Amino acid sequence: MLMELDADVIGKDEVILVTGATGFLGPTVVRTLLDRGFRRVRCLTRTAGRETRLPDVDGAGHRVEVFRGNLLSRDDCVAATRDAAVILHLAAARGEKSFPDAFLNSVVTTRNLLDASLRHRCLRRFVNVSSLTVYSNARGWRVPLDESCPVERQPARRSDPYCFAKVKQDEIVTEYGRRFGVPYVIVRPGYVYGRGNEAITGRVGIGTFGVFLHLGGTNTIPFTYVDNCADAIVLAGITGGIDGEVFNVVDDDLPSSRRFLRLYKRAVRRFASIYVPHALSYAACDLWERYADWSEGQLPPVFNRQAWRTYWKRTRYSNDKVKLRLGWMPRVSTAEGLRRYFESCREKLQHA
Amino acid sequence: MLRAAIVGCGKIADAHASQIRRIKGSEIVGVCDREPLMAKQLCERFSVARSFSDVNDLLDSAHPDVVHITTPPASHFDIARACLDRGCHVYIEKPFTIRAGEAEALVALAASNDLKLTAGHDDQFSHVARRMRALVRSGYLGGPALHVESTYCYDLSEPGYARALLGDRQHWVRRLPGGLLQNVISHGIARIAEFFTTDAPQVIAHGFVSPPLRRMGERKIVDELRVIVSEEDRLTAYFTFSSQMRPSVHELRVYGPRNGLLLDQDHEILLRLRGRRFKSYGEKFFPPLLFARQHLSNLVTNAKTFLARDFHMKSGMKYLIEAFYQSILHGTAVPIPYAEILRTARIMDAIFDQLGDATIHRPVFTRERRAYGHV
Repeated sequence: MLMELDADVIGKDEVILVTGATGFLGPTVVRTLLDRGFRRVRCLTRTAGRETRLPDVDGAGHRVEVFRGNLLSRDDCVAATRDAAVILHLAAARGEKSFPDAFLNSVVTTRNLLDASLRHRCLRRFVNVSSLTVYSNARGWRVPLDESCPVERQPARRSDPYCFAKVKQDEIVTEYGRRFGVPYVIVRPGYVYGRGNEAITGRVGIGTFGVFLHLGGTNTIPFTYVDNCADAIVLAGITGGIDGEVFNVVDDDLPSSRRFLRLYKRAVRRFASIYVPHALSYAACDLWERYADWSEGQLPPVFNRQAWRTYWKRTRYSNDKVKLRLGWMPRVSTAEGLRRYFESCREKLQHA
Repeated sequence: MLRAAIVGCGKIADAHASQIRRIKGSEIVGVCDREPLMAKQLCERFSVARSFSDVNDLLDSAHPDVVHITTPPASHFDIARACLDRGCHVYIEKPFTIRAGEAEALVALAASNDLKLTAGHDDQFSHVARRMRALVRSGYLGGPALHVESTYCYDLSEPGYARALLGDRQHWVRRLPGGLLQNVISHGIARIAEFFTTDAPQVIAHGFVSPPLRRMGERKIVDELRVIVSEEDRLTAYFTFSSQMRPSVHELRVYGPRNGLLLDQDHEILLRLRGRRFKSYGEKFFPPLLFARQHLSNLVTNAKTFLARDFHMKSGMKYLIEAFYQSILHGTAVPIPYAEILRTARIMDAIFDQLGDATIHRPVFTRERRAYGHV
């Protein structure tokens, strides 16, 4: 049953700031905002020359304002957040291999943005885009992973800088909500896929050791297609009455890892893969973790039991809350999303 | 128990914290970063008791015996001086200081305060580097080194640091007098400096912005450097820094009057380059066999070190820190002689002085126009 939704927190002519606007997800979020009739979208981008990814930069309505800046600069943050009623905070450190870099580019930047927005006193919604990886996923597999699942209490032990940074980012947003009354919403998407992100998620398997180890098996992969994820983020930014809430975003009809891999090989390219049963992958992660500890980090503990629980444990995912409270429905079916994704994988392969 | 503190909580601070933790008889009593959140994250991950955002507060409250300075290079001098003034020994990450004059002042201050200093030239203490040093000292070269070649590459296509640097026109590395070079060539220059004896060898440097970077609109970051260093017509050295060469090697070749040595840092391989030749076709068949045996020996050595749990990526840093701490505790010689630290700084000064304004108004070749033109 769909709950009756509160009125939007923002009018069509008020400023919406999108950070990370020229990244993978950003342009789709901007396009979604424009499609919904918002006329003043400010796009913060750090990297020069990527503005072309944005829709309507040179359009007649001049609805997209590109702001070049760095979230590590407090001055840039103050300028970027001026008059912003809603901030969709997408910018994050993706792919950082070091904890300090990931932390700096996720947590310090978020703090700067929050501090800057407090100055202007006009913020009505701060959407923090987090990730499903923050959950500890320590409960039994029959219990669906939803928003009530505990977050990692010792994220550093996961040895995953991205997870550590996202947990800390969520913490600082929550703290600003509690201490300063920042009206925030946290969105935790699953694996966002689509054109521009053609990698095979590590939840399916890894190619680290020269051969692709298929670790997912019959696990459900928590995909969300880029358009669907953008819809959820925009809804989280504009829907009233949801301050302080957390929403997980995964699509419907999710494929198992095995099915995904089969479809990928059929549609994109064939390659050898070895299936590693769950018991074996767990034992290997356990062993790796113990060895890393015993050897004082000669091998970094990148494979460990906490990581296994998050990425390779059999898990069911729920999107009930985001549907119920935001009225969100995946606009692109998983079948269609995968078709587009495979097509873009093929194109990328041809141009490689 | 030696009480250590870390000032600057960026990427390299993680390596310091990890290695200090492995050294028995030492503990990290505090960390400091101008950004309090960065200090707190290091504290949390390494279970350090206290974090600070002001170096004076750290020195006053945590009372460290030794301070590791891992901040951007421009601040090394001031922080090191503050630490020396408060009676702390200091480990300064590379590059030691911005200019050689600052390095000289720190060495003098340390001496007058009866304190010790070292520079973060940890590559010189990797397993393979120590094996090479032992061979040189055993007289394998057949006398003093005659020629040294140090190659130090840096792949700018890698994400992370390079992406941040190239994408950010305000990046702190761009504000260094020597730019990118100043931040990364110390390891390669220090390897050369180890073999020289004069305070300030002669230096001839040539540097330029590589064509790929120029095509990206980059005009300031010199990422290709060739240097000749010499000492009174007795000893010469070539230094090569490149962001474009593949493989992206970190190598040192040393030639003496009888034999030579090749150190491959990336693969931790040390090869003896035999000076004597075999007769006739023997020269074509025996050396490959001997090299094969040496490669196998390197493999066995590396495997043994790994099995002994002593093959960490930063094992050189652990060795250097440990040796530095021992020199503090027992009043013995520091692991890197001050003359060598100063020589490295002077060679770098000479390079940057010569490069000067080399980055602008250079001809660039564009494939489209098939001609040279000024940009």
